[in-house]
Amino acid sequence: MAGLVPPGTTVKPDASTAKPKEEEKVDYMNLPCPIPYEEIHREALMSLKPELFEGLRFDFTKGLNQKFSLSHSVIMGPTEIPSQSTETIKIPTAHYEFGANYIDPKLMLIGRVLTDGRLNARVKCDLSDNLSLKANAQLTNEPHMSHGMINFDYKSAPGLTYPPPPPPPPKHKMQGKDYRTQFQFGNGALFGASYIQNVSPHLSLGGEVFWAGQHRKSGIGYAARYENDKMVATGQVASTGMVALSYVQKLSEKVSLATDLMYNYMSRDVTSSVGYDYILRQCRLRGKIDSNGCAAAYLEERLNMGLNFILSAEIDHRKKDYKFGFGLTVG
Amino acid sequence: MGSRVTLRTKGKGVKGAKASEEKSMIDSFKEWSTWTMKKAKVVTHYGFIPLIIIIGMNSDPKPQVYQLLSPV
Repeated sequence: MAGLVPPGTTVKPDASTAKPKEEEKVDYMNLPCPIPYEEIHREALMSLKPELFEGLRFDFTKGLNQKFSLSHSVIMGPTEIPSQSTETIKIPTAHYEFGANYIDPKLMLIGRVLTDGRLNARVKCDLSDNLSLKANAQLTNEPHMSHGMINFDYKSAPGLTYPPPPPPPPKHKMQGKDYRTQFQFGNGALFGASYIQNVSPHLSLGGEVFWAGQHRKSGIGYAARYENDKMVATGQVASTGMVALSYVQKLSEKVSLATDLMYNYMSRDVTSSVGYDYILRQCRLRGKIDSNGCAAAYLEERLNMGLNFILSAEIDHRKKDYKFGFGLTVG
Repeated sequence: MGSRVTLRTKGKGVKGAKASEEKSMIDSFKEWSTWTMKKAKVVTHYGFIPLIIIIGMNSDPKPQVYQLLSPV
């Protein structure tokens, strides 16, 4: 999170760039850009939903250049296949994944291809200061199993991009309050649009609509996010019946606690989880426990510069499904 | 009854030609866009990773070809 941090904004200041906080009159005409609508639960997702896996994972990333790198991954372990009965069926699989990344401030291209021919592609391109294009696709050799989606994002604050701009002279007025809007097009006649706006330095509100032609479904949703230095609270409601609330409290630089609640009022299904996130110098430990009787933990330990050791564990007491994984990440 | 039937078909015959012309335009557009999407999918599937590699090898500072394959 680089960039200038003017006092009184919603961006959490880094220890290195924090300025002393002054009581300043809120300038409602000069609010910063809110975070994107799909990242509204970002802090809660980072703490409560780490990438748990089962089996062995080995990732090797080789950088050829500041911007260009290749990655090789080996994944071996049981993979769950969806089954009609309540028992989980797992099949041992092993695959190798080759990836190439090109990361530039204006253009980002990430591609990953597996041994069975599946391709995961992500493209992010800044067409101008305000407009950016994102696309992602999962392509397979099987017919009708490929998905693709393209998004156009527009944000109204031209000054808040990399590299950070020089501080504006005082009494400089930006055009109105800051907002972001996004249009999405996906295969299967999927259309979506979302809008989010900062209404105060701490509160942002947004809404979205989507229409899925293939499944003949459409929906509308609203979201709100309140944050300050110590906590982030978000809420999201959708007409598909989903209500998601989350709360993250940052107890110190190293520790944060998070909790979330997902309720589907159509199917009367509730899930709630509580978790913690310790970010220490040499390791990052995340743990959570769920109301479905599922406890999980994820540890990333930095053994050396560029060498990380990962342990993942997920114990589902209700389904009696125990998943343990270990891995090594190089580079 | 018979005459009514013939009247109905006659009416359809006059309108039918114009409707079928419009329908075939939409149909051919749909067919053309499906053909384009199929070809685009194949091109992306085989060409995306080579595209990233080509763009990366031409960026500054230019890496050497042997660096693509060596593990160091």
